[in-house]
Amino acid sequence: MQVTLRVNGKLSEVPPSFIGRRLLDYLRAELGLTGVKEGCGEGDCGACTVLVEGQPMCSCLLLTGVLDGREITTIEGLPETFLAQFSAACAEYGAVQCGYCTPGIAVMAAWLQAGGSEVSAQPITKLLEGNLCRCTGYQQIIEALSALQ
Amino acid sequence: MTGEQPATSSPAPAAAGVPDRARGLARYTADLIPPGTVLVGLARSPYAHARVSSIDIQAALKIPGVLAALTPADFDDIALGHQGADEPVLTRVARYVGDGIVAVAASDQDALLRGIEALHIDYEILPHACSVDDALALDQPLHPAFLDNVARRFSAERGDWEAAQKRVSTWVEGTFQTQAVPHAYLEPRATLVRVYDDRLELVTGTHFPSVLAETYGEIVAGWGARLEVVTPDIGGSFGAKWEHPTHLVCLAFAHRLRRDVAMVLPRRDDMISGRTRVAMRIQMRIGATDDGELIAKETMIWADNGAYTGHGPSVTLAAAIRMDNLYRFSALNAQAQLIYTNNVPSECFRGFGSPQSAFAQEQLIDELAEQLRIDPIELRRRNAVQPGDTTLHGWQVGSCGFNDCLDAIKDRIQTHRRENPMATSDRYRFGYGIAGATHAISNRGYDHRFDRDMMSLAVEPNGVLRIESGEVEIGCGTVDLFAGIVADHLELDRERIRLVLGDTATVPHGLGCFASRTAFFGGRAALDASRRFAQLCGRLAIDIGLPADTAIASVIEAAVTANRTMELRVTGSYEPDHVTVPDESGYGNISPAYTYATHGCCVRVDTATGLTTVVCYWAAHDTGQVLNPQRARGQVVGGVVQGLGFALAETTLVDDRGHMQNPGYLDDRVATFADAVPIECIFTPTFEKEGPRGAKTIAEPPIIPVAACVANAIYDATGARQWRLPMTPEWVWRSLCAKGVLAPDRTAD
Repeated sequence: MQVTLRVNGKLSEVPPSFIGRRLLDYLRAELGLTGVKEGCGEGDCGACTVLVEGQPMCSCLLLTGVLDGREITTIEGLPETFLAQFSAACAEYGAVQCGYCTPGIAVMAAWLQAGGSEVSAQPITKLLEGNLCRCTGYQQIIEALSALQ
Repeated sequence: MTGEQPATSSPAPAAAGVPDRARGLARYTADLIPPGTVLVGLARSPYAHARVSSIDIQAALKIPGVLAALTPADFDDIALGHQGADEPVLTRVARYVGDGIVAVAASDQDALLRGIEALHIDYEILPHACSVDDALALDQPLHPAFLDNVARRFSAERGDWEAAQKRVSTWVEGTFQTQAVPHAYLEPRATLVRVYDDRLELVTGTHFPSVLAETYGEIVAGWGARLEVVTPDIGGSFGAKWEHPTHLVCLAFAHRLRRDVAMVLPRRDDMISGRTRVAMRIQMRIGATDDGELIAKETMIWADNGAYTGHGPSVTLAAAIRMDNLYRFSALNAQAQLIYTNNVPSECFRGFGSPQSAFAQEQLIDELAEQLRIDPIELRRRNAVQPGDTTLHGWQVGSCGFNDCLDAIKDRIQTHRRENPMATSDRYRFGYGIAGATHAISNRGYDHRFDRDMMSLAVEPNGVLRIESGEVEIGCGTVDLFAGIVADHLELDRERIRLVLGDTATVPHGLGCFASRTAFFGGRAALDASRRFAQLCGRLAIDIGLPADTAIASVIEAAVTANRTMELRVTGSYEPDHVTVPDESGYGNISPAYTYATHGCCVRVDTATGLTTVVCYWAAHDTGQVLNPQRARGQVVGGVVQGLGFALAETTLVDDRGHMQNPGYLDDRVATFADAVPIECIFTPTFEKEGPRGAKTIAEPPIIPVAACVANAIYDATGARQWRLPMTPEWVWRSLCAKGVLAPDRTAD
């Protein structure tokens, strides 16, 4: 079985030892993309969120074997222009404390900015319900994300 | 014996500021584990209380990839616990479900899991107790030295109780139950141990690297090795990440195998063996005169230590006495006991014991106000502690803006009431609540030797100014605060400053990030170091032939050119001189300054379901001068939301066999984006002359009054007092039934 992903724009063939393992493990351990965080491993916290074909998903819930040919984007693969904006907004609004949840939220913010009908129909608080933050109380993240929209 | 590892240390990681964190560039412990590192896992007890009768590791050791196993016998002489030293690294007697029995090291995850499965451990099950009442009634001790299962007793009696009692005309009283709550930080506990020729390097997120280096250093010295602690970026802690058995398991494997080892706890393991807030039953009564003078307060506390003693003693003592310091009582009597149970070990958690005791005290103050027909804010105002007071517990009050906080909340509630006439119906009731709080900055009783901070400033050969501190960035903004103070004082570009925090091999001593002390102590050390650095630059300038008042940046530039950066190194420090080590009853001026707060809120209670919705929340804080308004606001909002979780939703559920029923975010009910409520943060500034630039601190105070504030609002809305946390729909509904608030067809039973 051969599985090839396009991760952050680059084709990468998943070695046999990582087929059948979680996308999260492959990204972190094999590709060194440690911006993708593991908080719970159960899809509760959203710290490991990546874009799969442009849609946000928890990489702890996906097995590499079912992703052949898919386009994966981690925080490392988000456009520099976006990261500069996001980072500035986080600093301005105080949206980061410990920062462990932030990469997942950055990926969600990129998805929000890309728009689409699903995004425009719902409030940020609903769309980001799957991303937990224990530090900030959310208010300042909401302010930063609203400023980015 | 020389290992395969490089003989020199990797450069200390620079602590990440907000922009880097936002880009995902912060490096937490798990991010630093290289491929090929030996992985460690634990076989945990499935029983709440059991003696391990036999252990067989032979089958596990035969599994390919399994490298070694450690058993309790490997740690017989070691017990952990800064305040109790009663926790084995691996135990012969399991005292909670999840207690570690055998540790396995393997070259990969699959081998590790198979190795743990192949262990044979036999248990002799013992009677267990998962509540303080059961533990007190248990006919056998959980720890041999504590026959009645009471780990610690505290007693604090102040003032003339007999005389005071005679002046009381009205008593109010109640018994309140608070719950255990997991800290639920996003970064699970992770440990990496690197092996170098002459030493072990422990990499882990912790509040106090210097204390870990000291505690584990002695143990590791017994193995003939040396220890340094490196603190990478920390993904939250809130009072949880101190000593932990997993650290020593990893150190022991690394020492034995001469290889780097790592352990990252799965979330479930983190929750069942992590730590929780100390659950307490608090029986309290407060007496006042008819005209509203608070006279006497009596407190009895039964606190659940869990299986082992973390910082439970300090937390329990704090719960027994700290909130007393908010008012001018004439006499106080507090008795507390900390009781061993077969629950997960408890720990300090943001606010220490004060969120628990505030839940009781601030509801009773409201109860008194109602009985005396005095406005609850007015009653607090009349009795509020004032600048210059020495409280009955020996706190010397410097700056104190409690009255200003009360006024600010009064104003917000009045305005809100006027502008938002509430559509109260039979089913939906609206109400307002308030609660006050006070908190110390650091705790002189924590380490009897000293309470101080140091900071070094050194110029690197390329002209970058390196800040070295024993304090750590736990998410509160320490990196930006330290860099900001130094950059500001020396008029340097922030980009030319690098921070190394909590690397015990290189940084000067710092006691650690706890008790809301870092901004205050570290901030003062930063100012002292900056002043010394400026003087040094003045002298070097003259030596190089520049005017003595040359800008610091230019002196640094000249030092780089002249290859004299080595000379630009200073260490500053701060140690307050007017604090005292408290006695056993907690009497003493434990902190160089004290903070004050008042919160207010508006809630809607659905009497059909008991569901409480926070409509609006106001948090007023006296934290002295505010150094960074955005970060300070972040601490307030974050603390309030954590407090709302404690108040309304979160709890650790344990079944009758001692198994935790909800070891995960979803079932613990951690607040989500959808739970975000509008919170207005109000700073009522004072000037604290002891603080850095007049500042006090803000990390813990915001969580303290929250549960009490919401409880008072529920009472205002419904007339039903709240005796237990969390105030879930079920329990609020039960309280409404007991009070007869519900229509007869909706009442319980």
